[in-house]
Amino acid sequence: MLAQQLLNGVVVGAVYALFSLGLTLVFGMHRILNLAHGAVFMWGALIGYFAVTLAGLPLWAAFIVAVFGAGLVSVALELCVFRPLRRHQGDEFGTIVASIGANLILMQLAQQATNAQTLRFPFGIFPILFYDIAGLRVSLQQLVILGAVAVIVVALLAFLFKTSLGSEARAVAVDERTSMLLGVNPGKVYLTSFLIAGMLAGAAGVILGVAFNSVSYVMGDAVMLQAFVVIVLGGLGSVTGAVLAGILIGMIQTLTTAYISTELSDAVVFGLLFVVLLIRPDGFFAGLHTEYRVA
Amino acid sequence: MVEFVLTYRPLFDLICVYTILAFSQYAALRAGLFSLATPGFASIGGYAGAIVLKETHLGPILGALAAALCGVAAGLFLSLPLARLRGAFQSIATIGFVQIMVSLTLYAQPITGGALGFNAIPKVATTGPLVLVVIAIAALLAVINRSGIGRAFDAIRQDYTVARSLGISVSRYFRYAFALSGAIGALGGCLLAYNTYSIQPDVFGFPMLVSVIAAVILGGRSMVAGPIVGTVFLIVLPELIRPLADERLLLQGLLLIVVIIYLPQGIVDSLVHRWKLRRASTVARAEQGERAHGVPLP
Repeated sequence: MLAQQLLNGVVVGAVYALFSLGLTLVFGMHRILNLAHGAVFMWGALIGYFAVTLAGLPLWAAFIVAVFGAGLVSVALELCVFRPLRRHQGDEFGTIVASIGANLILMQLAQQATNAQTLRFPFGIFPILFYDIAGLRVSLQQLVILGAVAVIVVALLAFLFKTSLGSEARAVAVDERTSMLLGVNPGKVYLTSFLIAGMLAGAAGVILGVAFNSVSYVMGDAVMLQAFVVIVLGGLGSVTGAVLAGILIGMIQTLTTAYISTELSDAVVFGLLFVVLLIRPDGFFAGLHTEYRVA
Repeated sequence: MVEFVLTYRPLFDLICVYTILAFSQYAALRAGLFSLATPGFASIGGYAGAIVLKETHLGPILGALAAALCGVAAGLFLSLPLARLRGAFQSIATIGFVQIMVSLTLYAQPITGGALGFNAIPKVATTGPLVLVVIAIAALLAVINRSGIGRAFDAIRQDYTVARSLGISVSRYFRYAFALSGAIGALGGCLLAYNTYSIQPDVFGFPMLVSVIAAVILGGRSMVAGPIVGTVFLIVLPELIRPLADERLLLQGLLLIVVIIYLPQGIVDSLVHRWKLRRASTVARAEQGERAHGVPLP
């Protein structure tokens, strides 16, 4: 029973990790805390839903459409909100405020698109198959989710550390002005990192939407709360940290839901955030970025 | 005339309550604190005040005081980890705090009434007391602004590294700001409960967070008049232009983005700044003119 719950937690946590990676990358590279990331995630799920129901696409094609759709939403945020703000010398606080506004707009549009209803995918969109592995009941869905997350994380690491655009991105993360002197175009790097962050959020959105079979305009809020804990615990800007902390948070949340209560699991997760901020605010893994304290 | 007053009185009460909540957000932002915890403080104050008024015989004034004290306690509790951290962390943790307060008040059904809300609260905060509280808080904030604490807040808001090099303890002043914001926010929540007969957990959620931050950003973050102007603007504008009322949230989101990009100082601060510049240039021109005509300067 405990092992079964832990497995379920790892699967949910892997999706949290996917979502948090986008948030932590954009923060680590550009010091932008994008509070509209949850809305991008929700739009990913929504695009996936409409691709299945309105366009009649198979799930794998809808997934690809949703991933790119969410990437475009994220790029639109960079072009319409964060870039004009930078041009007018907006500070860190300005980006937080502007992203709250963007979150509100994206959520309102989704509320109108869905009539504030919770949407459900058609029954049997994903084959319901179970395997017995070492005494655990593992569904095909869980295996596919774990496989997809693993592939995406490896691809992200390969991009960051093996391609030239990836090393330009890491250079901008260290020092934007110096990297400009070395011939890096920061505008391109911003677009790339927002595109990647949006694609990660969109992938997480479709996966969670199908796994819980529920898509609604408020689905981003709960995930943002988990992601806050994940990125602080993992260290803002750290890929490994986000993956490990995401899985840990998924397990803690599943266990508290199973053994204590659903309503209190949020409070337990927030208590953890508080403790981490108190004892180790730079997280448990070295990130791209270490400047975190005022005193 | 009587009809006019009766029609617009609820709107005026609403403006007063939201001005108090905006003052709570202002108290944080003015000190350079990126706290978004006001709805959480308001939730604590609202339920504390309502419980004291309905379950005990202490009366509304002690009820409001108890609410404000609970707000101070909550602010100091949040300041334990957050007073020494940078802005983004403060935003993350305080948004989490607001969401947790919503789910805790939903969960604690025996005390708070859960999703059905805490109902049948006597309406003790009428227009008169509300106006008095708004004036009192505005006066308190104005006094703080002119004191040494206010100058320290200004220094920290503009650059905390410089503030530290001037020997200002940033974390100590952040603690003050958290306590002040907590007290005012809880008082605002308490008066909301005392004015509207009933409160529900989701009243103190994300929409309130957006309203109060939009009011302060729009009005301005350094003068006390900022939050008042911002709140009046945000509440009255949709009433004047009816089609806007249905899209109130969309409008607030758009306003937040546009104002923070193109008018980051807010309405009041920008106007004051422009007026000072103009006065300075008229004085300079007058002096030049006098010198040109050989008239000695006084």
